[in-house]
Amino acid sequence: MKKLSALTFACAIALASAGTALASVRLLETGSTLLYPLMNLWVVAYQRDHHDVQITTQGTGSGTGISQAIAGVAQIGASDAYMSDGQMRVTPMLNIPLAISAQQINYNLPGLNGVHLRLSGPVLAGIYGGRIGYWDDPHIKAMNHGVRLPHQPIVPIHRADGSGDTFIFTQYLSKSTPWWNHGPAYGTTISWPNVSTAVGAMGNPGMVQTCKATPYSLAYIGVSFLTQTNEAHLGYAALQNSAGQFVLPTTTTIGADARALENRTPGDERLSLIFAPGKESYPIINYEYAIIKPHQPDAATAKALRAFLNWAIDARGGQQMRFLDAVHFLPLPANVVRLSRQQINKVH
Amino acid sequence: MLTGAAAFVSSFLIVAMLLGLFVYAYPAIRFNGLGFFTSIVWNIGNQYGSGATVTHNGYSAEPGASFGGLVFIAGTLLTSVLAMIIAVPFSILVALAIVYRLPAKVKPLANAVVELMAGVPSVVYGLWGMVVVVPFIGSVVAPFAHDHLGIIPFLGGATESGNGLLAATIILAIMVATTRDSLQAQSKSIYEASLALGSTTWQAVTRAVLPSVRGGLGASILLSFGRALGETMAVLMICGSAINTLPNTIFSPVNTIAAVIVSQLESALTDASGMAQHSLGELALALFLITLLVNGVARVILRGAPHAGVIG
Repeated sequence: MKKLSALTFACAIALASAGTALASVRLLETGSTLLYPLMNLWVVAYQRDHHDVQITTQGTGSGTGISQAIAGVAQIGASDAYMSDGQMRVTPMLNIPLAISAQQINYNLPGLNGVHLRLSGPVLAGIYGGRIGYWDDPHIKAMNHGVRLPHQPIVPIHRADGSGDTFIFTQYLSKSTPWWNHGPAYGTTISWPNVSTAVGAMGNPGMVQTCKATPYSLAYIGVSFLTQTNEAHLGYAALQNSAGQFVLPTTTTIGADARALENRTPGDERLSLIFAPGKESYPIINYEYAIIKPHQPDAATAKALRAFLNWAIDARGGQQMRFLDAVHFLPLPANVVRLSRQQINKVH
Repeated sequence: MLTGAAAFVSSFLIVAMLLGLFVYAYPAIRFNGLGFFTSIVWNIGNQYGSGATVTHNGYSAEPGASFGGLVFIAGTLLTSVLAMIIAVPFSILVALAIVYRLPAKVKPLANAVVELMAGVPSVVYGLWGMVVVVPFIGSVVAPFAHDHLGIIPFLGGATESGNGLLAATIILAIMVATTRDSLQAQSKSIYEASLALGSTTWQAVTRAVLPSVRGGLGASILLSFGRALGETMAVLMICGSAINTLPNTIFSPVNTIAAVIVSQLESALTDASGMAQHSLGELALALFLITLLVNGVARVILRGAPHAGVIG
């Protein structure tokens, strides 16, 4: 018996050291649940050819991604939101775009989920702000002629955790609706107006689950969950852009928005892509960020980080359409890739 | 010697925790003032805005910041009270059945089920609540109440009633176990004497047995109440995370102190002014004090209780 346990112990030691030899560096990615499905595809593909690094992924929400990257718990903080000026003053971090994402507005309207309702920023602000309470409100009817909207109270679902999806959604409301901009404004967590039907949910998976379980609800959900929301038979809306057109989130409309703004991307790459000009532009798109500490604890970690991030933004690496198509993302434009590379090379 | 040291360390830990929490929450206590207990607006402030910072009593936070805890304090108490309304009568009946009614062969099985229920992690109850209970309330119970009772407007899926129901399920097992122990510690002679005097079993139980164990029963109720107050994961998963709004029916979304600390912590850590973290600390302090109070009252009752049984 003693011999056996000694043998087991020796095996455990051998296995553990073999594991360490195979994966000399461990990286933890945590944050955005919108980026999480893509990260999972990336990491599996990347690890096939790179045995010297062990990358773990977690979908915990952008708020967690930012704060754990700052704390040094995670090496890669995934966020749909760039950091605020206030946060950057306290703890300067690199905000590196990895891909272009979008967000759809989903609803659970029994009998109408096959119809793409038309919704605008001011109407959504009215719903989330408590000014529009019923689905057959004249404001919604006015942009959806011929759709028999039910007289049912709207249940607006928002994220309960700190979320980049909240950030881009509320930014759309702020840019399209002056009273929202002067009131709740935008952020990864905002103070939602007093609406007695409003419900909070955790993460994009929680949003899908709650919307599915709640008839007459409305939710904002990252486009990487489009497959799930379609499987749940939720409807999604055509949104009004800054040119007044109603557009669905497609490769064309997301790409049109990105092209309208890519040249404005500054050196630190903190830029809102929301509500871009152009007739074809889908209004809620964003850069998906890796929030990275410029100073890593050791050279090996910094090297592994640079290698993975450079692979992620490379056309022959993470930007291949076989990854991005699966989550309905778009690749970064060439000049943004250049800026991202400059930032990645600052990691040491 | 060893036991004395252990007792000292544990009481020292409680005091140290309370003090540490107080120091951590102090900036928020000064910044929020009484508004913490009266305001329903929880707003960590506009992190991306350029407006003026808010300053109270020399402590500042981001533009627009306001940390009112009323929604969470009220939600915690409402959920726990609702849980008690469901759990107390039910668990007394179950305990009575186990002690006086069930055949000796079935008793061990009933006891095992009760202990198993108490042992299931609350996150499992939470998942069950999210996938089964809440959709059921949202699509069957609430519309039924709306259509047939007419008084309760239908207000969506994740609800206070679901919350109360789930918290009730979780504390049910604890209540059954403690009540059962109180009853078992009680000599059966009271029950039998009462029957011998010609009372029905119902009269024997309500007039003789329950009054004789009321101390133990009271303590058991208060300890379960304390457990319901602090329940976090299951509640977080189904409460609907209400913010800036108080529930107006039992089908409204709510939020509790424990749940909001979990869901808001990471956002609070990104608050450049740090006041959101301190305010969560103040919420934790409030929950701590409420729980201490409930436990303290339970202890006092327990001390004066005859045949109190094994509690907690």
